[in-house]
Formats: sequence, C-alpha cells, structure tokens
Amino acid sequence: MEQEHINPARPRKVVLAPLDPVHDVGLKLIRRKLVDKGHNVTLLPPDLSPEEIVSRAKSEDPDFVMISRALSYGTSELLARFVDLCDAAGLRERAKLVAGGLSMKPEIAQELGFDAGFGPDTPVEVAVAYVEGEDVDLSNGSRQQTKVDLTAGFTYKFLDSEIGSLCTGIARQLICWANKRTSPGVERAHLRTAMEAERGCSPGYGQKLRSQYASLSSGEVKQWYCTGKPVSHTRPITQKEAGEIQSLSRKAGSPAFPRSQDILNDRNVFVQYGTGCPVMDAYHIYLSTAWGAKGVIHFDPSWGARNEGLLEQAWSHEHDGTVLTLDNLGLIKNGLIPGTMWQVRAHRGLNTPETVVLAHLAGADLTKINIVYGSLGAGTDPERLAVDGVEAMKLAARYNLPYDVVTNEELCGVPAAKAFAGMLVVVTAGVLLGGRPLLQPLFANSPEGMITGFTEHNFVDFNVAKMKVLFSIIDAPIWPGAPVGFLTQTQDRSQSSVMTALHAALALDCGAAAVTIASSDEAYAGGPITAPSRIDTLKATGAALRFFGNGGISPTPKAEAIAHELREAIAAVLRQIAARGDFVSSLYEGLLGDREDGAYPGRSGKGTVSLKQ
Amino acid sequence: MSVKHRILDGCDVETFMLCNDLEEGKALGLRLMAELGFEDADVVFCEMGGPGVRIRLRGYVYRPSADYRWYGLEVE
Repeated sequence: MEQEHINPARPRKVVLAPLDPVHDVGLKLIRRKLVDKGHNVTLLPPDLSPEEIVSRAKSEDPDFVMISRALSYGTSELLARFVDLCDAAGLRERAKLVAGGLSMKPEIAQELGFDAGFGPDTPVEVAVAYVEGEDVDLSNGSRQQTKVDLTAGFTYKFLDSEIGSLCTGIARQLICWANKRTSPGVERAHLRTAMEAERGCSPGYGQKLRSQYASLSSGEVKQWYCTGKPVSHTRPITQKEAGEIQSLSRKAGSPAFPRSQDILNDRNVFVQYGTGCPVMDAYHIYLSTAWGAKGVIHFDPSWGARNEGLLEQAWSHEHDGTVLTLDNLGLIKNGLIPGTMWQVRAHRGLNTPETVVLAHLAGADLTKINIVYGSLGAGTDPERLAVDGVEAMKLAARYNLPYDVVTNEELCGVPAAKAFAGMLVVVTAGVLLGGRPLLQPLFANSPEGMITGFTEHNFVDFNVAKMKVLFSIIDAPIWPGAPVGFLTQTQDRSQSSVMTALHAALALDCGAAAVTIASSDEAYAGGPITAPSRIDTLKATGAALRFFGNGGISPTPKAEAIAHELREAIAAVLRQIAARGDFVSSLYEGLLGDREDGAYPGRSGKGTVSLKQ
Repeated sequence: MSVKHRILDGCDVETFMLCNDLEEGKALGLRLMAELGFEDADVVFCEMGGPGVRIRLRGYVYRPSADYRWYGLEVE
C-alpha cells in the first residue's frame, strides 16, 4: 500500500463515517489520535445512508474519507455502492477513500475501489500513519530483536547487612574449599577447551586429548568415544536435516512478527526448547521468537547430567532433551533470529563446567548454575557439584557469561527460605569470583505453599513476598522461573495458558528482569510439546500484560508478612551454616533441605572429587 | 503431498462430545481421531460436565527426530 509522500506537518482534513447503525468505536479512536496530532477531523454519526455520508463529506472538501463497517451482511454491495456514489459526486478527485472495521479485508477494499483497507486487527497508529503519508506495511509487524544485558545497572551490594555478612563468609569458605579440589568434570572442561582449540588444526586432531577425555567419561558416552556405538535413542543428524536448519536460518533473517504480540517487544520473556531434534527445535525457536519470545533456553536430556562426559558431533534424540554438543548448538544457533538471547543450562549434573565451556564456544548469552539445586533436587553428589559449580562460575566469569541460580528444589518440597539461603550463597560466591549471576526464585504453587497455606487464598502473596524479600536483601537482577506457574497448570490448555500468563505478568509487575514461561502443554506428559502450545502461552502472556498494563497487581497485606517471615527464616538458615563452618557438609546434613523436606543429597559422581596435586 | 504433512508436529482437535461418562468420551475422542486418519493420537485433556465432555485430542503427525515430509518446503 504505497502512496505519495505527504507532509505530516500539514494538517489534513479527514471525514470519518460509520456505515453501521451503531458501531463507531474504532473511528472514535482514530479521531482522538488524529486530533491529538493536529488534524482537522469530522466524525459523522452512525446510521446515515451512503448517500447522506457522501453529501456531508462533499461539503467538508476532505483529503480523506474513512468509513468503517462492523456488520458483515451486505458489506461488499454497500461498499461498492459507496464508491460509485463518491465517483459520481466527484469526491474522489481530491479525497482518498479508506475502509476499515471488523468485517473488512484489505484486499477486498482495494478490489472494490478504495485506496486502502484496514482489517480488524489494525492498530490505530497504522490508520494515522496512512493519513500522514507514511509507508504502512500491513502484512506483518516488524521489530529489531535486540539482546539485553539482564544484569545491567545492578550493583550486587547487600542491602541486608546481616545476611550479606553471613553469605560472604560462607561463600568464601566454599570457594577456598573448592580451590583445593578437582574432579573429572573440571578436568574435562579444560580438555574440551584444548580439544576445540585443536579442532581442524591437524589431521586426526586431538586424538591424544580425546583418549584422555574418554578415560574421564562414563557409561554410554565413554562407550561412544571408545567404540563409536551411539548412545541409546540417538542417531547422527543427516545432511538433509542440517540443510533444513540452514534453509530455516535464511528465513529467520527476515522473520514475520504478528502485530498482536507487539506488547512483548520490550519484555524479556524466555521459553525453553529441547524436543530432542535440532531441526524441530529450530522451528520451535523460530516460531516462539516470532510470537514474542526474547530468549530461548536449551534443555538437554536427563541422561546428560548423569553420565560423565559429553558427546561430539550432531545428534538427534528420540526423547525429551536435545543432546548437548558443540555441533548441535552450532546448528541451533544458525536458526536463531538475530538478536535472540540464548541460554545453555549447566546447572545440575556431572558436566557443569564443560557445559559452560560449550555455551561460551557456541556463542550463548547466558548459562545456569546452581550447586544447591543440583545437589539436593537433581541427583548430583553435593561435594562433586560444589567443586564443579565453583569451577563453572569461574569459567562463566572468564567468559563474561551471566547465569541464573535456580531454586527448583522447592518443587521437591524444600521451603523457600532454605532454597533462597542456598541461592544467595551461590550468588555471593559467583560475585566474589567476578561473575554476574541472576537470582531465580520459583514462581509456583510449591509444596510449601500448599502445606503452610501461603497459597490457600491466592497465588499472588507468596510470589510477591519472594520478590520483596530478595530485592530487600541484595541489589541483583531477579528472573523468576523456571518456568513460572509450576504446579498450577493443568492439561486444560485454557487454564494452563491463563496460569502461565498471570504468573508471568505478576513477575514482570514485581520488577523481574526476565521471566521464563512454559507452553500450554506443561502438564501434559503423553508426548512432545507442540508448536501451537508454545504460541498459546505467548499469546496469553501478551494478553495478560495488556490487561494489567500500568495498573499493577496488588497483593494483600499478607505478602509483607510472608516476606518478613522469609527474611527471618533465611537468616536463621545462614546462621546455622555459618556455625557449621562448612557449606558442603551443610548440604549433606540437610541444613539447606533435608529428607523430611523432600531433599536428598544426590549420588551421581560420589567419590570422584580429589585434592589437587 | 497431503495437507497433513504441512503440519509441523501435531494437530489438536477440540470439541464437545455428547456421552454418558468420561471414559466413553475419551474412547469416542480416540475413535474420532482414527476416523480423521491420525494414527498416533492421544487424549490431552478431557473433562465431563453436563451432557458430555470437553475434550482436546492430539494427533502427532511428526514426533521429534522423524523423517519430516515438510523438508525443503518453500512456504509462499
């Protein structure tokens, strides 16, 4: 829809007329915007005949006649007659004719002889831009996807001096303890760095290093390095599959963005991917970012956390989780819309430091590290993950890679106060090591919420209290997750989308730097997440943000009371750990979550830590 | 190529089915998916209320790692 350039500074004369008995809301919105911009606007009343509209418009000698039609019956005939009447009256010699409204399709308007047609989803700004002579692309929205530093502007200073002092003391003890130790995970991270540096430098590159690497691996991963036998349920990516991602990457260079999702443009909404297949992942990432996701998070298979070692080459996996290799990450990166933020998680298993290396080499923007969750909720031996986690944080600092410190152990039943105490110690260690961590409280109906009654009357107070207490303790970015709404979603996609959207809106309203959302398939375990279910929750989140706008969400006074209670409980946990004098022992002994809470120190990697030579 | 192979992964069918109880609703739903030609179908959500069930059915055309027939498709 092109038109000659019109000087927007010159006021235009516009006649607006509803071709309906009653409906003129859209025209009133356009009138308000046009008047605000200094144009001369006449809005005719509803229920005039086309002849009356033409007659009254002619007397105004307008530059534009814009009519709307909401009712669908007889629309084409009515509009065709209107155009004929305008022609007969000589109105078109000077004025441009525009049709819009619920029953309008732009292509039909133009077929009928209008200069432009605006469909029901057209923003008012588009109609105004047309009057002012600006080029208007009605096909799709466009936006410049831009990466954001989620940690910018935060000082990481403790605002709560007692908790700050406790965290600093405990974190120093943890770092000092870990500095004297090493593990196969730490050694493989260094080997991987060396192996990748040698890649392509010589024929049979890194054979010696690979052999060392294999000796530090276990299970099916070791078997692959030694015999070439693929890990169960995996197969190599084919040329055709790699080609499909390359082809998609060309499309991702000029993506189409639905205008309805523009509200997410300045919000940092992340989604998780990990279908097992890099091709399907690439499509899911592409459509999720088109519908408003600012960032995506790589999910690897659960066996990737329990085996020592990571594979090489590109693999497809028949089950949940996409195999973590530099080649797979490279393929996926190719399909990212430029400007998409990308997180590769390294938080929970036996390959934590090496995953940070891969995230860096692949060009990821963020990673995820948490010693406490990985130890108490994800099956890795606490001593091992403490050594690996500290190394991972050192690497992340070296690579200038921010990471979140997630507290999903709450899902096992660990009370928020214990989970937060652990998170704050790890965050403090991260800062002492020169890193830029983000706090990741769980936004969910956690077992604690149900048992204590914190979530009995609403889901707002407990979540708001979590944000309040963390913001009162430390000046650091908060990124609720992961994803928000855990244990509130059901298999009903309407309910699931609403719950996700409300949790996301609440988090952003509370000042979250970012938020991770699930698909509407979150509670469905019968098969892989599908593409439409991803769009469901992105659309719902957009709608919730539109609904609350700048109106905010008000908690009850209970939120303040819970926040106070949480603060006291966090401090009490930290005092116990400080008195114990050993962070890792505290993990084994249940100070950050015991068996009664539902936390069990993991066993993967037990006995693999050694003192440095 | 069948239109079905333009589906990226799965196709959901949502409707209200008249039935006597939840189990009958689910069974009817799966029969419907079979009649529509979905071989890999499941009930994602089903809730009884009043004269029948609100049901959401899913037919996976492609699960991850399958040999997708939309490869190389140039979507206009």
